[in-house]
Amino acid sequence: MNVHMKSVGAARYVGERTPRKEYGRLLTGRGQFTDDVRVPGMLHVAFVRSAVARGRILGIDTAAARDMPGVQAVYTQADLAAVPVTFQTFFFTPAEAPVTLLADGRVACVGDPVAMVIAESRAQAEDAAALVEVAIEEETPVVTIADARTGPLVHPDRDDNIAAEMGDEDSREAVQPLLDGAAHVVTMRVRHQRIAQSPMETRACLASPEGENEMTVWLGCQSPHLAARYIAQVMGLPQEAIRVIAKDVGGGFGLKNIPWKEEMAVIAAAKLLRRPVKWIEDRFEALTASSHAREQDVTLTVGFDGDARLQAAWCDYACNNGAWPMGEDANVAVHMFMWPCYKMPAYGFVTRGWYTNTMGLGAYRGPWAMESLVRETLLDKAARRIGIDPVELRRRNLLYLTDQPHTSTLGVPVEDITPGECLEKLVANVDFAAFRREQAEARKAGRYLGIGVATYVEPTGAAGSMAPMTGETVHLRVEPTGKVVAMLSTHSQGHGTATTMAQVIAEQLGVAYEDVAVYEGDSAIGAFGPGAAGSRQGVIAGGATWRAAQLLSEKVKQVAAHLTNASVEAITIEGGIVHVAGAPEMSRSLREIAEIAYGEPGRLPEGAPTGLEAQYRYQPPPMTMTSAAHCCIVEVDAETGFVKILRWISAEDCGTVINPGVVEGQIAGGLAQAIGQVLLEDMPYDARGNPLAATFKDYLMPTISDVPDFEYLHASTPSQTIGGMRGVGEGGCIIGPPTLVNAIADALSPFGEIEELVLPLTPARILDVIEQRDVSGTRAPAAEAKSAAPIVEEAPLVEAAPVASSSIDGDWAMVLKTPMGPQEMVGHFDTVGATVSGYLEAPEGRQEFSGGTLAGSQLRFEMKVEKPMKITLKYDLLFEGDAVSGKCKMGMFGSAKVTGTRA
Amino acid sequence: MKPAPFDYVRPSSVAEACRILDEAGGGATVIAGGQTLMPLLNLRMSQPFILVDINGIAALKGVARVEGGIRVGPATRQADALRDETLARHLPAFTRALGHVGHHQTRNRGTIGGSIALGEPAAEMPATAVALGASIEIASVRGTRQVPADAFYVGPYMTVLEPDELVTGIVYPDWPQGHLVLFREVAQRPGDFALVGLVGALALEGGAISRAGIAWFGMGPTPVRARQAEAALLGAERARIDPHAIARAAVADTAPFDDHHASAEYRRTVGQRVFARALSETLDLRSAA
Repeated sequence: MNVHMKSVGAARYVGERTPRKEYGRLLTGRGQFTDDVRVPGMLHVAFVRSAVARGRILGIDTAAARDMPGVQAVYTQADLAAVPVTFQTFFFTPAEAPVTLLADGRVACVGDPVAMVIAESRAQAEDAAALVEVAIEEETPVVTIADARTGPLVHPDRDDNIAAEMGDEDSREAVQPLLDGAAHVVTMRVRHQRIAQSPMETRACLASPEGENEMTVWLGCQSPHLAARYIAQVMGLPQEAIRVIAKDVGGGFGLKNIPWKEEMAVIAAAKLLRRPVKWIEDRFEALTASSHAREQDVTLTVGFDGDARLQAAWCDYACNNGAWPMGEDANVAVHMFMWPCYKMPAYGFVTRGWYTNTMGLGAYRGPWAMESLVRETLLDKAARRIGIDPVELRRRNLLYLTDQPHTSTLGVPVEDITPGECLEKLVANVDFAAFRREQAEARKAGRYLGIGVATYVEPTGAAGSMAPMTGETVHLRVEPTGKVVAMLSTHSQGHGTATTMAQVIAEQLGVAYEDVAVYEGDSAIGAFGPGAAGSRQGVIAGGATWRAAQLLSEKVKQVAAHLTNASVEAITIEGGIVHVAGAPEMSRSLREIAEIAYGEPGRLPEGAPTGLEAQYRYQPPPMTMTSAAHCCIVEVDAETGFVKILRWISAEDCGTVINPGVVEGQIAGGLAQAIGQVLLEDMPYDARGNPLAATFKDYLMPTISDVPDFEYLHASTPSQTIGGMRGVGEGGCIIGPPTLVNAIADALSPFGEIEELVLPLTPARILDVIEQRDVSGTRAPAAEAKSAAPIVEEAPLVEAAPVASSSIDGDWAMVLKTPMGPQEMVGHFDTVGATVSGYLEAPEGRQEFSGGTLAGSQLRFEMKVEKPMKITLKYDLLFEGDAVSGKCKMGMFGSAKVTGTRA
Repeated sequence: MKPAPFDYVRPSSVAEACRILDEAGGGATVIAGGQTLMPLLNLRMSQPFILVDINGIAALKGVARVEGGIRVGPATRQADALRDETLARHLPAFTRALGHVGHHQTRNRGTIGGSIALGEPAAEMPATAVALGASIEIASVRGTRQVPADAFYVGPYMTVLEPDELVTGIVYPDWPQGHLVLFREVAQRPGDFALVGLVGALALEGGAISRAGIAWFGMGPTPVRARQAEAALLGAERARIDPHAIARAAVADTAPFDDHHASAEYRRTVGQRVFARALSETLDLRSAA
């Protein structure tokens, strides 16, 4: 099938800057956001939140609040426990920390919801909430990653503060000799600040019980389908019990991937009260109590040969998960996507997520973006160190189309990525040599200009790899009026899907763009899709609409051919008119055809269904790669440390561009967030665990004055999907930060290196480099820097009482906690002297081993497995009486914990 | 984010406003433009029993020439003051600084008196009043008084204003025709409060500095008058002024603090630098730049 086939003579819409269908509604204040919805009898919620980061709740006195005017209920977890909710992650796996709707006996961060007051107005609810007295016995909080390594437990029932981990210190053994032998070894440490997601519309939920067991939920979300599925699943309700509506949503970014504690508490309260209940998060809550993002501490070390070619790399990554992450995360994607666009022979990593007593971590536009930031800033540092142009260094190491197919050392295959081609397009459009002359002249005058380049690839349009990442569906029909209606699985929080999908349909069907109406934003419309998550809707739903419109076109042609005694091949559709080749007098409007198709079945071909409808669910290739190269030019004021962005050029390859305006809007929005992250935004915590930026006076969002006019170059290499699109939703937020940091570092190069990148690069931190002293007062003390070095965290093996070797013989019921979830199995061991053989048996089959060694009560053995890939599993178990515990090293996937008891 | 309950009154005269403030016994708060107070009310960081809206008091609005100076009514909108030709002609430092207060939208509502009475240490208007030698007119049922601006501020958001008192005017003394404006503000985004800023006026007579009024903002718990720099400038021949020495003297009067936007060391370092640059540019000391 030629996926780029166009209807003959059809108007071109794909590739045009078609005005957005959403403009009129949104720009005249007629959008329908959750807070615009009012239902009769609606009540309002105010949450009582913990002012203490860590501690035990001694008592909650709600008596005074209950007596306040308008108050209908005051709930604590003891009340909400009547509505069981088992929280899951976005991937529909269990949340590991025991997440409850409201605090259950303990508080784990400032802002933790402790009680909820439900009243006839929000003001009344807030008045009463102020009277709820919460007594908490405050304990020393765990605030930073360093605290988490050594401090008390955030969740008392867990063994340590490690929320998730992958990779392995041992894998350093493989790369260390290569690093030792490298001509140049360059290290980059990045300390990324904590980000408050700050969508323009804060979180919002209105839950309205209907009938016996049903509920309509208006929700600020990224997919009503996913939200409905999530709510039904975590509450153990049937699918039809929950309908989620989200017509307009003012930004999601990952924060609204799933409903979290507050939204689920509102739904539970509505169920208990049997009244509609609304909660609109205020900006104070949004900044301090919505899931935060980033806060990572990363050290990357890379070896180069004498020709500046990559030899090997090692990375130690840690991120602060907070207390209640929306899915425990060690961010393995950082490592998976660190090198697929480069020729990197060897890579090892260890990566951990840590629980702390801070607000939980959520996904944020390009959650793995750290790979581009640490890699691209390191490459520029290396270029300066080696004395080679940064563009040339990338040319020597990037994968061009002629180098593909290629598989990265971590097994990521690429066959059509174009980071090199994007870089060449950039270089062809930006006169680097002229800039270097201008830069040299400016320096003589005491002006410091800098240019930065960065390249990357990004996985987009993922489908089929994880539970929610599915294909997308379009239901399409020509109404009896001749107008076209599309019902989509997509959702827009500003993504313009109603526009881009209508463009595809109009072009493929041969109708006017204005005659296509797109419906989405309601779980009762369309079909399952995870919505705006992972830069996927243009890729997958674009392919679905592309194909569905072709299918519908064929139906129209069959009816028209039958009516006119022509062949199907002779029929064309253009501008909503159906033409017959060579017989212009036979032309009919789509409306005439539709009226017959719906109302006069006798005139249709034998056996043809009535109406004009088509449906297509598109399952694309598992992943579609997007590439880009960006360039930024800045001037740094050496007196004040201020950065002015003079020019920013994006050369991206998102394949077929459906609407350049929408694509450029996505890139610009991501770049604005990038500028915020590099220069302005910061959510610091004090030592007691208080968030310090509680209003927009202190949390500095980039404004229109801080964001330049961007220039865009589109490379447009079609992908292998129907339509040839590639995702572009997250790219700006991923490649923007290293591009800007590299430009600043280039400007600062006469003064010195940004040895350690601490974000944001405030004017004070820039003066640190210019003046080579601690102006900012935030340069990391040497002692703290050491704590980020790879540390071996072997659990100290407790000297257990020696057990007779034969006592481990027999069957053990064991659980292996893999990154994909816990796996139950039976372990059988037979000892002969100090040698052990046996097998592990799981529902999938039995795997035998031999040659294990038993030393005292410690058993070590290895087994090779083929699936999901060839790796050697190394078990290290300690037996104590009837209990066994230890870990299993799983190659690059790191270590998994093993626990068990005698069967 | 809803304010705690309060009563609302809208007096039509200063006397009526003073009577309400007196009867409230400290439980009343005055609202003019509300650009700071409304967020504080919504965050419940301010919980008055009575909100006294002074927007209906005509006597508190407008700009007028008075004996020896210009009187600005505290309820005058910042946007109106920014367009005022009398202020622009006679007090260019005032107009220059006012252009950095907030944004177009907030200046349409925000007032001069609101900014003066709030006492945000990193704000432009309090420092401008200190630098230009303004005095604050204050009324209460107990009578009226005048307080020099540099005695008005006692700490962050703290002034000598008693709970029963109302600011009724800010009187800026005349400065000689042709006096020079000293202004520089370093803020992370346009419209933000300053990391460090300075504002002042310099008058020259026969090639020497005859009058100097300079104050810092963002450099201490209150606006900070650069007294040592003023003293060093007074009587100095323009051509002989060393801007770096004056800047060092100016910073010596400050007491900046650390916050998560900038360190005290940054404020001192950059303050001294921008002071020297602003001074040499204002006095056209090309050699020193």
